[in-house]
Amino acid sequence: MGGNTADYVPPIGKGQTERSHFLETSGVVAGALLITRQGSEAGRMNVGVAHSEVNPNTRVMNSRGIWLAYIILVGLLHVVLLSIPFFSIPVVWTLTNVIHNLAMYIFLHMVKGTPFETPDQGKARLLTHWEQMDYGLQFTSSRKFLSISPIVLYLLASFYTKYDVAHFLINTASLLSVLLPKLPQFHGVRVFGINKY
Amino acid sequence: MLRVPSRIGKRTHVRGCRRQAPAYHLILEGILILWIIRLLFSKTYKLQERSDLTVKEELIEEWQPEPLVPPVPKDHPALNYNIVSGPPSHKIVVNGKECINFASFNFLGLLDNPRVKAAALASLKKYGVGTCGPRGFYGTFDVHLDLEDRLAKFMKTEEAIIYSYGFATIASAIPAYSKRGDIVFVDRAACFAIQKGLQASRSDIKLFKHNDMADLERLLKEQEIEDQKNPRKARVTRRFIVVEGLYMNTGTICPLPELVKLKYKYKARIFLEESLSFGVLGEHGRGVTEHYGINIDDIDLISANMENALASIGGFCCGRSFVIDHQRLSGQGYCFSASLPPLLAAAAIEALNIMEENPGIFAVLKEKCRQIHKALQGISGLKVVGESFSPAFHLQLEESTGSREQDVRLLQEIVDQCMNKNIALTQARYLEKEEKCLPPPSIRVVVTVEQTEEELVRAASTIKEVAQVVLL
Repeated sequence: MGGNTADYVPPIGKGQTERSHFLETSGVVAGALLITRQGSEAGRMNVGVAHSEVNPNTRVMNSRGIWLAYIILVGLLHVVLLSIPFFSIPVVWTLTNVIHNLAMYIFLHMVKGTPFETPDQGKARLLTHWEQMDYGLQFTSSRKFLSISPIVLYLLASFYTKYDVAHFLINTASLLSVLLPKLPQFHGVRVFGINKY
Repeated sequence: MLRVPSRIGKRTHVRGCRRQAPAYHLILEGILILWIIRLLFSKTYKLQERSDLTVKEELIEEWQPEPLVPPVPKDHPALNYNIVSGPPSHKIVVNGKECINFASFNFLGLLDNPRVKAAALASLKKYGVGTCGPRGFYGTFDVHLDLEDRLAKFMKTEEAIIYSYGFATIASAIPAYSKRGDIVFVDRAACFAIQKGLQASRSDIKLFKHNDMADLERLLKEQEIEDQKNPRKARVTRRFIVVEGLYMNTGTICPLPELVKLKYKYKARIFLEESLSFGVLGEHGRGVTEHYGINIDDIDLISANMENALASIGGFCCGRSFVIDHQRLSGQGYCFSASLPPLLAAAAIEALNIMEENPGIFAVLKEKCRQIHKALQGISGLKVVGESFSPAFHLQLEESTGSREQDVRLLQEIVDQCMNKNIALTQARYLEKEEKCLPPPSIRVVVTVEQTEEELVRAASTIKEVAQVVLL
C-alpha cells in the first residue's frame, strides 16, 4: 500500500523515563518539553493504519507518492538501460518502451486476485489488478494516468528511434498490447479463454 | 548522449539529414494525442451490469413494499411462549407446573451437575462474568487455551478452536474455507446454521437427497465431467462435502464410511457437524468417527456446539493444526465476537472431566434411547423418525392433514396435553420462510441419562394416550 507505513513504536515507558531522568538531572524544566515529546510519541503510534477497505488492491494506485514512484522507476529503468555500453539510443528507447509495457501487462493485466485474503469471499479472485482498480469504476484519475503513460513513452520512443520501421512495428505492437486491455469494453474479457481461471 | 566514442559518427549523421517522420506515423501520433485528450476529459462512470435496464425499471415499478409489521396470527408460537422458572434440568418448572424434561438437549445431565456448577462458580469468582473483548483483543484467557487443549486431546486431533456461540461455529467455519467459485455438496436436511454458513460463503451449493449416497455420487460424477471439460477452472475450485453426524432435523446418522470413500475418490473435503453426536456416540463420546471406527484424520474439519451434551455455551472446531489455524484469522465469529465467558469455559472443562471419568454414561444413554424408541413404536397416527440410538428424535404425523398449519396445530394440541400430564415436550420450530428444505412439522423428543426407566415408560404411555385422544 503506497506511502503509509506503520512506524516502529519504541517502548514508550522506558523511553519516557530515561528522557525525563536525563532532563531532570540536567536541571532543564522538563514539563513543556516532555508534553510535546509525549504528543509526538502518541502521533507515531498505529493511528490511521487500520482501514475498513474490503480490497486494498483497489486503492493502491491512488496512494500517496505512487505516481511519482512509478515515474522514477521508469526513469531508473531507462538510465540502467542507457548505461549498457553496446545499446544505441534508439535501441535503448525501444527496450525501455517494450520492457515497461511488458511489466505493465504482467502486473496489471495478467496477475489475478489478491495476495491477501479479503473479507468479500473472493470476489476479486478472477479479476486482474486493472479490473480491481477502484472497484471497476472507469476513467478514474489513476486509470487515466496509467493509460497515458505508455502513450507518452511511445511518443518519446518513436521520436528517439527516428521513426525507423522496425522500431515502429515493435513499439506499436507493444503499445497496443498494453492499451487494448485498458478499454472499458475489455473489462473482464478473456480472449480465447486465456488466463480465465 | 554521454558516450562520446560510439556517438561521433552517428551525431554527424544526425546533424546532416534529419529524416522526416513518415505520414502513417504522424497520423498515428495524431490519433494517440487525440486519445490522450479524450482520456483526460472523460468522466468516471460505473460499468453497467449486463442485464437489461428496462427490465430493472419494470421490476421497480411493480414492487409493492411489504408491511413493516406483517399480520401475525394470534396463536403464533412466538407470542404464546411457555415460561420456565429455574434451570431446564431433569425436572423443569414450566408455567408453574413441574414436568419431566423431554425437550432440552441435556443428554448427559450435566446442566445441573454440582461439580460443573462449582467449577463455574470458582471461575466466576476468579475472572468475573464476561471477557469484554474478542480473542485478539485481550479476550484470550488461560481457561480458553485450556479448553481448546482439552478438546483437542479428547477428540484426538491436533488443535481445536473455541467459538462463543454454537450457531456461529459452523456458520463461521464454512465461509472461512469455501469462497466464491467453490462447490459445496450438502445434505438436504442440514440444519439452519449450516444453511446460513453456506449462504455467507457465496459458493455454489449442490444439495443431495438426505443420506442418499447414490445421489451424492451422481452429483460428484457430474462435477467430475464438468471438471474434465474445463481443467483449468477445476484446478482453482475447491470441493467440500458438509454433513452432520446426527441430523437435528431427522435424528438419523450420516453414512460416514461411504462418505470417506467418496471423499478420496472425488477429492472433496469433508466438514462434519457433530453438535448432536458429540458426547453421545462412540465408546468414549467422541462422536460419529468413534462410532464407526474411522480415523479422525480422514475428516478435515469437525465442528460441534457445546450447548448440547457439554451443557455449556459456544462451540468448537477441531482438526489438523494446518486447518484450524486458518480460522484464527478467517473465522468471523472467532475474530469479531467477544470470547466465551470464562465461567462457561471452566464449566465445559469440568464437563469434559466428568465425561472422561465415567465413559459408562454413553452406553446408559444408548440403552435409554433404544428403550423409548421401542416403546413409542406403534402409536396410531404418529411415526418415530430417527435412529434407535439417537437421543433426539422426531414424532411426525403419519398422515398429514394437507396444510402445515393444521398439522402444527394438531401437534401443539398433543404437546399441550402432554404438558398437562407433566411431560414437557416441544415441537421442532423452523423459520419457515428461510429454510431451504423445510422439514415436516414434528414433536422433538429428547432422551437424557437422568430420566429413569419408569419416567420413560410413563412418557411413552402418556404420548400414546394423548395421541389417541387428539388424532382419533
